[in-house]
Amino acid sequence: MAAEGAIRSPRAGDRNFRFTLIAPSIFVLLLIGIFPLIYLLLVSFQGITMIDNDTSFHGLANYRRLFDDARLWESLLHTLIFTAIALPLELLLGLLMAQLFIDHLPGRQVFVALLVLPVLVAPIVSGATWSLMFDNRFGPINQIFGWITGEEMTLLWTISPELVYPAILTAEVWQWTPFMFLLLLAALSAVDKSQLEAASIDGAGYWRTFFRIVLPAIWPVMAVAILIRGLDLFRLFDVVWALTKGGPGTMTETVSIFTYVRGFQQFEISYTSAVALLIIVLLSVAILTALRRVELSR
Amino acid sequence: MADLKITGLHKYYGAVHAVRGIDLEIPAGEFTVLVGQSGCGKSTLLRTIAGLEDADEGTIEIGNEVVNDLAPRERDIAMVFQNYALYPYMTVYDNIAFGLRARKTPKQDIAGKIARAAEMLGIGHLLQRYPRQLSGGQLQRVAIGRAIVRNARLYLFDEPLSNLDAQLRDEMRGEIKRLHQELGKTMIYVTHDQIEAMTMADRIVLLRDGRIEQAGAPLELFEQPVTRYVAGFLGSPSMNFLDATLVAADGGLGVRLADGTVLPLPPARHAALAGYRDRPVTFGVRPDHIGRASPGDTRPGLARYSAVIELLQPTGSRTYGTFRVGSAEVVAELKAHDVSQVNERVELVIDMNRAIVIDPDSEKVL
Amino acid sequence: MSLRRRRAVKLALRYVAAVALTVFFLFPIYWLFMISFKTADEIYAYPPVWWPSSLQLDNYLVLFRDGDAKTVWNSLVVAGTSTVIAMFIGTICAYSLARFRTGGEHLANWIISQRMIPPIAVVFPIFLLYVWFGLVDTYIGLILLYTAFNLPYVIWMMRGYILDIPQALEEAALVDGYTRWQVLWKVVFPMCRAGLFATAIFTFVFAWNDFIFALVLTRTEVTTYTVQVTHYFGGQSNFWAKIAAMSVLGTLPIFIVVGFMQRYLVRGISLGAVKG
Repeated sequence: MAAEGAIRSPRAGDRNFRFTLIAPSIFVLLLIGIFPLIYLLLVSFQGITMIDNDTSFHGLANYRRLFDDARLWESLLHTLIFTAIALPLELLLGLLMAQLFIDHLPGRQVFVALLVLPVLVAPIVSGATWSLMFDNRFGPINQIFGWITGEEMTLLWTISPELVYPAILTAEVWQWTPFMFLLLLAALSAVDKSQLEAASIDGAGYWRTFFRIVLPAIWPVMAVAILIRGLDLFRLFDVVWALTKGGPGTMTETVSIFTYVRGFQQFEISYTSAVALLIIVLLSVAILTALRRVELSR
Repeated sequence: MADLKITGLHKYYGAVHAVRGIDLEIPAGEFTVLVGQSGCGKSTLLRTIAGLEDADEGTIEIGNEVVNDLAPRERDIAMVFQNYALYPYMTVYDNIAFGLRARKTPKQDIAGKIARAAEMLGIGHLLQRYPRQLSGGQLQRVAIGRAIVRNARLYLFDEPLSNLDAQLRDEMRGEIKRLHQELGKTMIYVTHDQIEAMTMADRIVLLRDGRIEQAGAPLELFEQPVTRYVAGFLGSPSMNFLDATLVAADGGLGVRLADGTVLPLPPARHAALAGYRDRPVTFGVRPDHIGRASPGDTRPGLARYSAVIELLQPTGSRTYGTFRVGSAEVVAELKAHDVSQVNERVELVIDMNRAIVIDPDSEKVL
Repeated sequence: MSLRRRRAVKLALRYVAAVALTVFFLFPIYWLFMISFKTADEIYAYPPVWWPSSLQLDNYLVLFRDGDAKTVWNSLVVAGTSTVIAMFIGTICAYSLARFRTGGEHLANWIISQRMIPPIAVVFPIFLLYVWFGLVDTYIGLILLYTAFNLPYVIWMMRGYILDIPQALEEAALVDGYTRWQVLWKVVFPMCRAGLFATAIFTFVFAWNDFIFALVLTRTEVTTYTVQVTHYFGGQSNFWAKIAAMSVLGTLPIFIVVGFMQRYLVRGISLGAVKG
């Protein structure tokens, strides 16, 4: 039968055509994707810092330093903490919200349109907004807490060690829960209604129906959502930058902020190159494993 | 003069050998139907002729010019696709004009050609509509209109009626055939529907597993199939096949069925079959060649068979009756009131002049 | 309670929850917008003022008077130009991947994985290269980077939209006498017009909302609005009015544009995994 999908054996003219089409994109991707990678590799074996343009071969010195750099591994740990808390929280809240809106609700579209807005705000603006919200004196958060407790509140949300994580996580969850909500709402709407009806006729309870029918049906979308958000959280920068700049001290420093500080404030060029390569390698392994598991292009 | 000549054509999809050596000549003005089951290579063959697929081996000539290396647009062909392939963002008029504009046809000419085609197809009132506003039958007419305004050398149809309901299909079948008579163009039509093939074709090319099983006029294939496959493919309900043995009978030859009945073959067949005496064969007979025996009927070549009808399927003018020979089911096409109830024993006659005997190993008709 | 009554109560409860959630998710945005309209006295009032006495526009006028609003223009130039380029070269690349399976699954996967590499790891060597080539703080530098950064997204999304187009439409045009390039213009682009539009919007938003690339690669000439917002953060005193007004200038256009694109939102932000 006629081949559905691709034209499988293009004649010579087509062969040129197909490569002409991808040439500009591949050129740009190589320019910005591969070329810098080679450059990183090169520089990471040298000893360039702000004051010393030492391009001699330093072997694995920078890589050895990676293992002893406690601040680097701490920043990795901070990143993982943010991810481990924010991701499940966003997923769960998003799922609950999606459940709330899945059945008919008058004005549903208006609600959904409004709830989506945080996703569209630039992360740095979202961080700025929350720094206004969290201001110890002129922000509304302390005022609301004051109303609840009945006494004046002047919590230093972006400075107190015990409050910075909740503050950053609040901003993060606020911005991205709607993302989860939107995707899961779409996934839930696509669940086969007749399966749900069959289950209810068979007498399956709510939880049984959810775990046996709904969850398997929405899992592909959920997996993609987790993948996208997981990778976003790994590169977390803007919100933290706006709220704490990694402080107090280095308490909320993420991998991205660590790299930024090392590279652009301390100009440890060769060492930062090694750090960047480490991040790329770690991520590439994670992405390739994830892509193989998650069928993004169904 | 041949308008299309295909020599030694092969086509592979990776490990799949889709077209396995096709040689075919199609004379100018003929309506050829490529027919076969899905996967037989008929669509691939058509798409290779169109240039939408490359030929891996062999040559394709259109009007004495080898076109293997020409792009579709350089082959002077027009094509009607299975799912109409109409552009949803263009009006019917623009859809039909699309191909003419590609060839830089002057504006007035386009208008004239479209008007004529629209009149022929009865779609004049639809020209300013969009495809989504049309019914299936109307879409099909527009798709055909887009092809016929082109004045191409070769017209290709890729299962154009398969998306229509039965009644519309009957109607469009007649319409396409009438168009062919009016235009006198060379047309190649792909279908899996044997009724479409029988009713429309000047010539049928029956494909199986990437090869031509048999090619010829519709009635030639129907009456003189060369293989069991051809015999079984054409005709509805399809031919009955029974395991049998060729034996000597009444001084001539006959087939002995599984239940021991011997059906004598007419003398004309003896010479061809003599070598197969006492060997197992497959006996094939079409349902319409089995009927209720009437006392005065003594035409030569009729064999009698007594059967118990187990199932009756009236269709109105005819009734299909099913009976058993050994373990095999046999369908007979009876007159409406030949048999009134099931499990009735009736005397049947089998027209042995029209029956065929097949070599079970080679599956060739003997 | 009757079934009907129970349903009514349930609906009412869901309503209350929906409104509460909406208030929670909109309040920070409300607060940002309100600050941009407040006078200095209202901003630095204790306890905070929840509703400004008048919607005065002084905070915006200051941005225009000082020339800070030019950063919004910079964002527009950089995001707009890079979107146009990325859309064009990305879409034709996507067509090749979709129709000819150029490079197979491997190339497609490599391209989308490019999108997922953290910007900070990429921007560092690029910065060094840009210093070398004198591209820091230039339109060209940022445009090139955003083009490259958004290409994987464009290719991935448009590949999905192109795969949705029935192939017979293109074949019909090929048979009818069009060249491959003409088929692209006359069939493929019109057929995925909605997809092109939606993808372009999101491509634009990603570039528009980016902070880290602009932070590293701009100084004074082509500063984008996101970087400008952070310039108002002082050590002890923040310029709240400017932060808010500049943020609103950068956020409002996105709200308006995407407001018209609701239908494509889910597919756009899920990298095409949800066809919505």
